[in-house]
Amino acid sequence: MSHFGKAIGRIDWLQILLVLALCAVSIYNLHSSARGTGRSYHIDQLWFMGIGLVLMAAVAAVDYRNLQRLVPLFYVGVVLSLVLVLIVGKVVNGSKRWLDLGFFGFQPSELAKLAVILTLAGWFQKNPRPGGYTLKDLVPVALLVGIPMFLIINEPDLGHTLMLLFISGSMLAYERFDRRALVGLLVMGLIAAPLMWQFGLRDYQRDRILTLVDGRADRLGSGWHAAQSRVAVGSGQLLGKGHGEGTQVAGGFLPESHTDFAFANLAEEQGFVGGLLLLGIYLGIILNALRSAAMARDRFGGHVCVGVAALIFWQVVMNMGMVLNLLPVTGVTLPLLSYGGTSVWTVMVAMGLLLNIHLRRTVF
Amino acid sequence: MSRVYLDSSASGYQARVRRLMWIVLATIGVLVLRLGQLQLIEGDELHDSSIRNFARSTKLPANRGTILDRQGRVLAINRPSFDLYVIPGRVRDIEGLLTGLRDVLQIDELDALRLRERIEEPRGMWRQRSILVSRDIDRKKVAQAEALRAQVDGISIQVRYQREYPYGEIGAHLLGYMGKPRREELEGQNRYTADSLIGRSGLERRYEELLRGEDGFERYIVDARGAKADNMPWAERALEKQAVRREPQRGMDIQLTVDAEVQRLLLNSMSRYESGAAVLMDPRNGEILGMVSKPGFDPNAWSGRLTPEAKRQVDESPYNPMFDKSVQSYFPGSVYKVVAALAALEEGILDPNQLIESPGYYEYGNRIFHCYKRAGHGKVDLYGALAASADVYFYRLGEQLGIDKMATYAERFGFGTKPGLGINGESAGIVPTKAYHEKHTAGGFQHGLALSTAIGQGAVMVSPVQLATAFSALANGGTVYEPRVVQRVLTEEGNEVTRYDAQVRGNLNAKPEHIAMINTGLIRVVNDPNQGTGHSAAIPGVVVAGKTGTAQVREIQRGPLTENVKRFKDRDHAWFAGFAPAESPRLVVVVFLEHGGGGGKDAAPVARAILEGYHQRIEPVFSTTATYTPPKRRNYP
Repeated sequence: MSHFGKAIGRIDWLQILLVLALCAVSIYNLHSSARGTGRSYHIDQLWFMGIGLVLMAAVAAVDYRNLQRLVPLFYVGVVLSLVLVLIVGKVVNGSKRWLDLGFFGFQPSELAKLAVILTLAGWFQKNPRPGGYTLKDLVPVALLVGIPMFLIINEPDLGHTLMLLFISGSMLAYERFDRRALVGLLVMGLIAAPLMWQFGLRDYQRDRILTLVDGRADRLGSGWHAAQSRVAVGSGQLLGKGHGEGTQVAGGFLPESHTDFAFANLAEEQGFVGGLLLLGIYLGIILNALRSAAMARDRFGGHVCVGVAALIFWQVVMNMGMVLNLLPVTGVTLPLLSYGGTSVWTVMVAMGLLLNIHLRRTVF
Repeated sequence: MSRVYLDSSASGYQARVRRLMWIVLATIGVLVLRLGQLQLIEGDELHDSSIRNFARSTKLPANRGTILDRQGRVLAINRPSFDLYVIPGRVRDIEGLLTGLRDVLQIDELDALRLRERIEEPRGMWRQRSILVSRDIDRKKVAQAEALRAQVDGISIQVRYQREYPYGEIGAHLLGYMGKPRREELEGQNRYTADSLIGRSGLERRYEELLRGEDGFERYIVDARGAKADNMPWAERALEKQAVRREPQRGMDIQLTVDAEVQRLLLNSMSRYESGAAVLMDPRNGEILGMVSKPGFDPNAWSGRLTPEAKRQVDESPYNPMFDKSVQSYFPGSVYKVVAALAALEEGILDPNQLIESPGYYEYGNRIFHCYKRAGHGKVDLYGALAASADVYFYRLGEQLGIDKMATYAERFGFGTKPGLGINGESAGIVPTKAYHEKHTAGGFQHGLALSTAIGQGAVMVSPVQLATAFSALANGGTVYEPRVVQRVLTEEGNEVTRYDAQVRGNLNAKPEHIAMINTGLIRVVNDPNQGTGHSAAIPGVVVAGKTGTAQVREIQRGPLTENVKRFKDRDHAWFAGFAPAESPRLVVVVFLEHGGGGGKDAAPVARAILEGYHQRIEPVFSTTATYTPPKRRNYP
């Protein structure tokens, strides 16, 4: 078998299939949920995905061990752009999250997720502790994650701040720890949570969380999004109202139906069956990514796969949790299903990394 | 083959990946369960919620029926009125809107500021709710506001029916007024909404069911901004199963027996008196031609346009303007003497022609009962006793009849039971009996109470309408008709639905000659220029019969009252009840002047003005040939 033939055989075709399926579902769903906005979001998304697939292929092509050298540079670049966004960022809905590049609005916090995944993976690669990590060992990790988190919470963007926290937490869970370090992390978490609640959150963020906990919250005020999302999902019942028939979108009752609440529209129109299918695709991608982690050639590759799996997993959980009224409204997008260039490309690059690591798993 | 990391520290990674996979599976499982809970368990309920989102139902208010008078004049009618609303979610240019509204509605800067707050305050769905800015704007302003809407959007003008009473205060108590439904009425059969108006008093309330009609509705599909939407085929299919529109049904019209001009005549005739009531009835069938109460109120104002100032004026008036005195009961005084007279004749204990000494007082037991005239009346027969209202003559009758015997006759006249108009909390009055006094009077029943009862004092209470019914029975030879104000019910097109004919309630069951004897006495009351207490009700060329009454109810008032009010309370109730022409009566008139003074001096001239006015201005009912022939001299002692 030729060298090229061997490479073809090593490609993670399942992952590619799942990604393409997700793209198809996304375009189909956007075709309906963008109704009434007067814009063809599904066409735009198609372009984003096209570019994204090229990006994915490009990232997959170059051996990741060569890319690894660029990670510190990438990290610094992302941190600088996060600082920049706080200074000259475009204010949308009271938050500074976007850098206006003229032709394109760019969201550095999306890239921060990739930067944290790659940087932590690199750190774990260079600092092995076969006996388990202690709290002291983790100080550099805390700094590497803490800096972008601090910058993002000041935008403010609670969703992405939490994403960084959860992704890095998941990557830590992939390592072994000294028993005292585990207890220490637990205690720190217990102390940090109320402090975070008191000082880290804005009033409206606290409101959103309280809305979820307190069922009596004003359904016409801050709880409006959540309530309408619940109605959209529930009214889909088993088989859904049919493609393009969702009244929650057509009537404008469901806000942000092409971005944050894209899943609500899908559940309304395609019902429980459609929702299960989508969850199945995500589950496949996540489990497949974890499988790639177990097969990775080195600790860097393994950690990147776990990080990417965590990225998809936590975005799915936080977005669907929000749509299904289990979690507060945080504005975390659903990977590939939500409209948006930066968000699509971040996921595509992450997928490219998975393919890359899978392709170069053990010696061949 | 071992797929572990090339560096030797790879131990445990496999196990940890497997643990992460389980965590992922479990978490996605939770999402699946939640999805199933919302879609499969709560699905039906949330499906209905999604329909409630886009299904709007607006009430199509029914037009209330018109109330017409005897001649077909409009007494109460619905007029469209225009209210101006602002819908915050639709306002495109709030500065332009506020400037425009300041011009159109002539509101000042402060009000404009308040309005801005009200427009800017609502959030979310509330921004689609209309905010009431101004009620009942005139047509010129409607046109200006429509023009403004074209420029700035967000303005909505809604049509509402406003109840209007063209005659204003005239006959206000009888017609009543409209008001907002109370909470229990809203909760009731779901027929009223908060913006409905419901008959609050008078005929508006009594005939609410007939007048009201049935509201209709219209269902349509809206988007989140509240605008009608046509891009939701699923919504249209969902609504297909329900009725989309029901036309409102107009209420019935009712035509009264009452004549608006009679109402005006009654009030004008009483113009010198602050407080009282008057009733004009046709004794041949019980139809009420007019019934008024003084002072009045403006039902237009009370039907939803009441200013605090107007309300305060009514609340603070010492004369109870909202109280319908024509159906409330009062001490009647001497008009009630007909009861004792008829009872004595029927019981065979009275020879009408026998002259009986009637001095200024009457000793009974250890009490002395005075005649209003201290000098007394000398020897009088029944006719003279009625004419001069000799109290002692009737004390004797009362003593002989006893209180319960008189009560049975009073009940035949219709006293003691509600007349049956069913409006304004009509009073049954009081026909005292032994049992009544045992129960209600301190010290229980004493026989002396029969004496006071005979002259309409004691505990006797009658209403002007009751008195009109009773005198109608005397006038028509004994038939007690149910008093009626509604003649018929009509559809909007004028087709008769129901006609109310004369209803006989009872009969005096008296010998015609006995009734005639009493009527002879009543004729003397008015036509005996020397002794008749009601002589000022006499009309040249017509024989008027009647009885005066002066109920001693003077209350000396102290405290923070104006001199006028003190003087008012210091007077007796003045009554006159009578009929004309005596030989074939067409009209029964009852005049009641609360604290008005004396029956002969004050009430009788009012009655005369009413009878004359009716004959001259409304319907000539008197043939001018009948004249009064004085009885033989002998009767005058």
